Amino acid sequence: MQPVHDLFFWVSELPTSIAIRESLLFSPYLTVAHVVSMCLFAGLIVMMDLRLLGIGNMSTPFSELQKRLFPWQMLGMGMSSVTGLTLAYSDPMRFYVNIFFWTKMLVMVLAGINAMAFHFITYNSVVTWDTRASTPFGAKLSGALGMVLWAIVIVSGRLIPYNWFQN
Amino acid sequence: MLEGFFNDMGQWPISQAIGASIWVYPTIQAIHLVFLALFAGGMMITDLRLLGFGMRSKTVAEVARDARPWVVLGFLGLVSTGVPQLMQNASREYFSEFFWYKMYLIAFGLIWLLTVRRKMIQATETTALSKVVGLISMAVWTGVTINARLIGLFT
Repeated sequence: MQPVHDLFFWVSELPTSIAIRESLLFSPYLTVAHVVSMCLFAGLIVMMDLRLLGIGNMSTPFSELQKRLFPWQMLGMGMSSVTGLTLAYSDPMRFYVNIFFWTKMLVMVLAGINAMAFHFITYNSVVTWDTRASTPFGAKLSGALGMVLWAIVIVSGRLIPYNWFQN
Repeated sequence: MLEGFFNDMGQWPISQAIGASIWVYPTIQAIHLVFLALFAGGMMITDLRLLGFGMRSKTVAEVARDARPWVVLGFLGLVSTGVPQLMQNASREYFSEFFWYKMYLIAFGLIWLLTVRRKMIQATETTALSKVVGLISMAVWTGVTINARLIGLFT
């Protein structure tokens, strides 16, 4: 992928990228902030997915849970994105050759598609199942996919430092 | 005495086995993070409610009761994936200040969870006191997470 390679290489030569890369403490602090914000985002996504599966947080109607947790999930996602993008910006060539980085990016896109599909399809019928003890198949599918996909994102993110498949 | 124990632990056949394979340790580390998300989610949904945010249409007690099984499952998962990491890295972690900060904070967090916070989450509504309790809980477990990540980065 020459254009992607060129873009990553161009970023890696930028003075700010080099400055972050060469700073001893900036990257570790970013990594810590990335993990903390991941807890906020993924933690509250899991709480919502368990509700979609019909096995957790069942005393709250789904629409209520979704409405109340959404701002916190977005805060977590915003912080994760800023810290994650800055980490990638600081050392793009390291990530370019890393299979786990690309797995994480791909699965994040899939998780986003799953969230959109849920929002535009299954969520339209929420009034019919909002307070029911059992959730419909579409909701269960979204919840299960959400949990599995975000778990893969976390796992592949953690495996980035282990570049087993790199020459 | 403790130092000797940590050194011995690193020599146990199972500790050596975890370190001998290139993929066992990283896989355990990665699963540890997945359980962290589950634990953090269950803790945060309750702590946010204690602070007067989140699911305000439900009582604190209802939110806490729903979250409890996931907090317990998350914590058990964290311990069962955390101990093997410690075993493999025993003597290194013994000399890591962050490891000990993490342990002290976990001890405090658990005592807080089982005493003051436990009392507070039986309430219907939030009070000034419950907000302080929720905030302390969030701060302590965030501290655990920060120190945990620092073990790997600076040890």
